[in-house]
Amino acid sequence: MAMTQAVQPVIRPATQPTTPARHVTVRGRASFWLFGAAACVALLVLLPLAFTLRQALGFGAANAAELVFRPIVGELALNTLMIVAAATVTSAIVGAAAAWFVERTHLPGRKIWAVLAAAPLAVPPFITSYAWVSFSESLQDFNGALLVVTTAYYPLIYLPVAAALRGMDPALEETARSLGLGPWTRFFRVVLPQLKPALLGGMLLVALGTLSEFGAFALLRFRTFTTEIYAEYRLSFDGSGASMLASILMLLCLVCLALEFRVRGLSRYDRMDRGARRAPARYHLGWGKWPVLASFAGLTLVTLGMPLGMIVYWLLQHGDAAITPVEVSLPLVLDATLSSVGLGLAGAALTTVLALPLGLLLARHPGRIATLLERIVYLAQGLPGIVIALAIVSLAIQALRPLYQSAALLVVAYAILFLPLALVSVRAALLQVEPRLEDAARSLGLNRWQTLWRVVLPLAGPGLGCAAALVFISVMTELTATLLLAPIGTQTLAMQVWADTAALAFAAAAPYAAILVGFSLISTWLLMSLFGKTAVLGATS
Amino acid sequence: MANLSVQGLGKQFGAHSVLRGVDLTVASGSLAAILGRSGSGKTTLLRLLCGFERADTGTIQVNGHVISGPGLHVPAEDRRIGYVPQEGALFPYLSVADNIVFGLPRAQRRARHRVQELLELVGLPASYADRPPQALSGGEQQRVALARALAPAPALILLDEPFSALDAALRVETRQAVAAALATAGATALLVTHDQAEALSMGEQVAVLWDGQLIQVANPETLYRTPVSPELASFVGDAVLLPGMADQGYVTCALGRLPIAKAAMSGGGAGAVSVLLRPEQMRLAAGFEHAEVKGRVLDVDFYGHDACVRLALVGAADPLSASVIVTARVPGHTTPRPGDEVAIVVEGEAVTYPASGR
Amino acid sequence: MVSRFSRVAGIAALLAASFVGAAHAATLTLYSAQHPQTVTLLTKDFEKQSGIAVRVHTGEGPQLAAQLVAEGQSSPADVYLTSNSPELMLLEGKGMLSKVQPATFGEIPAHYSSPTGVWVGVMARENVLAYNTKMIKPEQMPASLLDLGKPAWKGKIAIAPSDGDFLPLVSAVLALKGEAATLEWLKGLRTNAQIFDDNEGVVAAVNRGAVATGIINNYYWARLHTEMGDKGTHSALYHFGNADVGALLNVSGAAVLKSSKNAEVANKFLAYLVSPRAQQLMANSKVTYEYPLHAGVAPDPILKPFNQINPPQLDMQKLGDDSQAVALLRKAGLL
Repeated sequence: MAMTQAVQPVIRPATQPTTPARHVTVRGRASFWLFGAAACVALLVLLPLAFTLRQALGFGAANAAELVFRPIVGELALNTLMIVAAATVTSAIVGAAAAWFVERTHLPGRKIWAVLAAAPLAVPPFITSYAWVSFSESLQDFNGALLVVTTAYYPLIYLPVAAALRGMDPALEETARSLGLGPWTRFFRVVLPQLKPALLGGMLLVALGTLSEFGAFALLRFRTFTTEIYAEYRLSFDGSGASMLASILMLLCLVCLALEFRVRGLSRYDRMDRGARRAPARYHLGWGKWPVLASFAGLTLVTLGMPLGMIVYWLLQHGDAAITPVEVSLPLVLDATLSSVGLGLAGAALTTVLALPLGLLLARHPGRIATLLERIVYLAQGLPGIVIALAIVSLAIQALRPLYQSAALLVVAYAILFLPLALVSVRAALLQVEPRLEDAARSLGLNRWQTLWRVVLPLAGPGLGCAAALVFISVMTELTATLLLAPIGTQTLAMQVWADTAALAFAAAAPYAAILVGFSLISTWLLMSLFGKTAVLGATS
Repeated sequence: MANLSVQGLGKQFGAHSVLRGVDLTVASGSLAAILGRSGSGKTTLLRLLCGFERADTGTIQVNGHVISGPGLHVPAEDRRIGYVPQEGALFPYLSVADNIVFGLPRAQRRARHRVQELLELVGLPASYADRPPQALSGGEQQRVALARALAPAPALILLDEPFSALDAALRVETRQAVAAALATAGATALLVTHDQAEALSMGEQVAVLWDGQLIQVANPETLYRTPVSPELASFVGDAVLLPGMADQGYVTCALGRLPIAKAAMSGGGAGAVSVLLRPEQMRLAAGFEHAEVKGRVLDVDFYGHDACVRLALVGAADPLSASVIVTARVPGHTTPRPGDEVAIVVEGEAVTYPASGR
Repeated sequence: MVSRFSRVAGIAALLAASFVGAAHAATLTLYSAQHPQTVTLLTKDFEKQSGIAVRVHTGEGPQLAAQLVAEGQSSPADVYLTSNSPELMLLEGKGMLSKVQPATFGEIPAHYSSPTGVWVGVMARENVLAYNTKMIKPEQMPASLLDLGKPAWKGKIAIAPSDGDFLPLVSAVLALKGEAATLEWLKGLRTNAQIFDDNEGVVAAVNRGAVATGIINNYYWARLHTEMGDKGTHSALYHFGNADVGALLNVSGAAVLKSSKNAEVANKFLAYLVSPRAQQLMANSKVTYEYPLHAGVAPDPILKPFNQINPPQLDMQKLGDDSQAVALLRKAGLL
């Protein structure tokens, strides 16, 4: 999950059959309304998707072909696929290696490294990008882009792989030893095959994140589909070029998402649940621990030290070193902070409320329809922010004039973007409320709404709060949709970082970046200590 | 197949001594069981034998070759000791056949060397070869794990609580299948278990590990009939323990004067002793008005084929019998009711131990 | 847990309330394609001077023009301030701009404003070739912009075809040399050039030595110079001579929308933009680096004096509204 995109792609629906079979009573009209509300939410997610496709189809085959088969599309496709492939591979190597050393060796300080290795998720990629660009302009090429996306996304591999390593049955490796396999063959024939689902799933999430990434690439001036969609938007507003590119990108993303669903399905099948077991054996590193420690220190320096350090550095620079004609005054910073916080709260509230009916449906009336609606909502994960934002701009100007340029529209965009994130927590929270408690309340004379108010909400409250808080952080650090949909006069922290960095005014961007990262890191940390790591990082294990 | 010989084996974890001076010999082609409670060190012993852990003292020899000793530790992968872990631990991403050939060289893996033969050996149909392990029951998984361990023809097979996760019916069936397969393969095997029934029924020899030491190594009958301590007696089966006075091959206790088993004579020549009887040695009979020992039935645990009856001894003048409660195991078809008064007759011999300060 | 949750909810409500309170009523809505720093500078000063609050919607020139067209009558915009004249010409052609008060044109030379009096020129900047001083010498510079499409320049040039500033250049070449020559030039550029998203990217690439030369508007180099200092600047500017199309002068102008419900205030803002005070503010800002069009205000000394530049003879009307530029760029494979 940036915590925007950073925290987002980790979301995975909890493995389906964890719930014991509940007595499913169809409660007449209530379930009808529930189905209706959940279906409306799913439709909301489908709206930008359908609209983008409709726009694209509206051009006619000849026009569309001309737009799709122009040379630049090939160039962008190559650029995009190369960075996606490279980022996926490097993230896999860095993430899996870090996970292995943390989980399977006696690495000194491994508890701290475990936290530090996951922490980059709380730093929005465009902030990392800002840090590197302001450090050296020469990073504005493929290597710089690779560095930044790897930095931002390798935790998406580290987390599931570490969880898989932790959950691995040591008996398998011991059996392999007793069958004569040495350390290397054991790794390749026993450890790696077991990591495959986690590794593949994580790699697809990295691919998805990289495909959708906009801010980081734009600041690095590395051209991909997302940056070109934005370029087209800048030249022609909601023109045809942008929506054609958006359609292609959307299809690429949906393919990734579909593959990820498939891998996750396989992994469920591959696991044999065998109750409590010993923790896997750890290897002694001996003298090897020094280079490994140095690597971890280097990794932390690059992924966290660099962004935080550069922000601090630019905070301390004033006047000459940067173009800061407009003093970064306290009111301006406060204004942007309040805008970000306000949008974050509104987005969190709406998203959580929208996730409720579907969450209830999944918890109370599981079945084919509920699963279908759930899948539709998870499609939003495959929709890059820029595609959703573009669709909503066009939709508003063509059909929803009263909402055009309103904060409400932006909040709806956030809701679409982050519904999957909220749904995971909301569903888990509601599953904790056992139906027999509701039955007991009803038998004591409470009506349906009183039951909801006095039984369900108090029990599910903390989980719903967690969902809202996750969305809040994600909205705070969201850049793309905010950039396209912010109401006139609204400047958020992310938008300020963006504008100042684009103009090379790095010192001017620093206070905004500092507040943004501070918010993200602190609230992620708070959430983890309140709700536990798994609640925040999604059901990666 | 080969014999296993262990001398003076010891292992410490930190300050805690887990194994001390373990001596054990398993004859070639035989099946021995290590019986111990959890925490007795039996898993550590197995891991030392496999080579997953390094022994602190002592030597391990297989067929006369030292594989672990002072300054020597042959790694697990070079020991040729097959290992059947708890719950099988099949590789979940490989088919049954691929699991079985896992430890073979590449060419034999490709050729699925001896898969059919091994499946047959462990009593599974040949059609199981292509199934994923998830499609197998717990007992079937266990058998595949055995086939996998047998495939590279190891010098020795170690089985770690292989049946503990199975339900009762499956356990007996799987136990028999595994025992048969091991016998057919002529394998030397060591079974580690906390289940005394399993140890007694499977092991040609049972070694009891108690607090890190082997306290008795014997065949199953000897172990059950003449355990070396009252605690062990209670561990390997239900025990009736009574105070008594020994004298010239007989012991006098609340249940009368009973012969002392020859094998246990050393347990206490004369004087105050503890007397061990097994509940199934008690015969209960109604209607013997003048029986020497009588008891009133307190309660009955009925199991079907048999029942456990708790009795309070009554009537005898002997002060020894005052407030003594004994348990008898009786066949299911002649179960007394609570409150009945019955005669108690003891069959067979008693085992005695020096009276402890109990 | 529950009480903790409700406490969090309370704080959230408090924050939401303060957010709502922070939004204040705006009276002038400005669609601006100028750099945010410049615009903030101007609007803050204007607000201080006039007491009129300004809401700014920032975007790229062509995007805002297209957006205004799409919004039509219901557009919230009062004033459109953009960086290149063709975007204003587009709106002028569609009859969307209202007449500028004659007094506003006062000190601005007539040929920098709308031929029909519906927009006023505010600032101008010159198209130039930035070059890395370590990689190439001034005497190796091309005589004409069109030379850059020739094989000799393969790999030595950077452009930003999707930057709003590149479109007028294409329009200018089209106006002066015809479609065939323009397309040939663009195709040559496609072969020769490294592509960047915007002028900032081009000038930074040239400065760090990733490419020898780059087509930019002059002020991007000045901004880079301010950011990097003398030490960090490894580049210089080459100005095309002989009235070559490469020395095109881009005029940044402003207009009042016909749909504006605040025409009076909007006109006040236009008058402010060309006032000596605002023009001086921009000239001294060390961030704008454009030529103030007010005759009495001197530009920043880092710029080549305004009277020494030698732009092509091309009036606003002839330069047109960029309507064909995007199509040509697509045809050439640059978009």
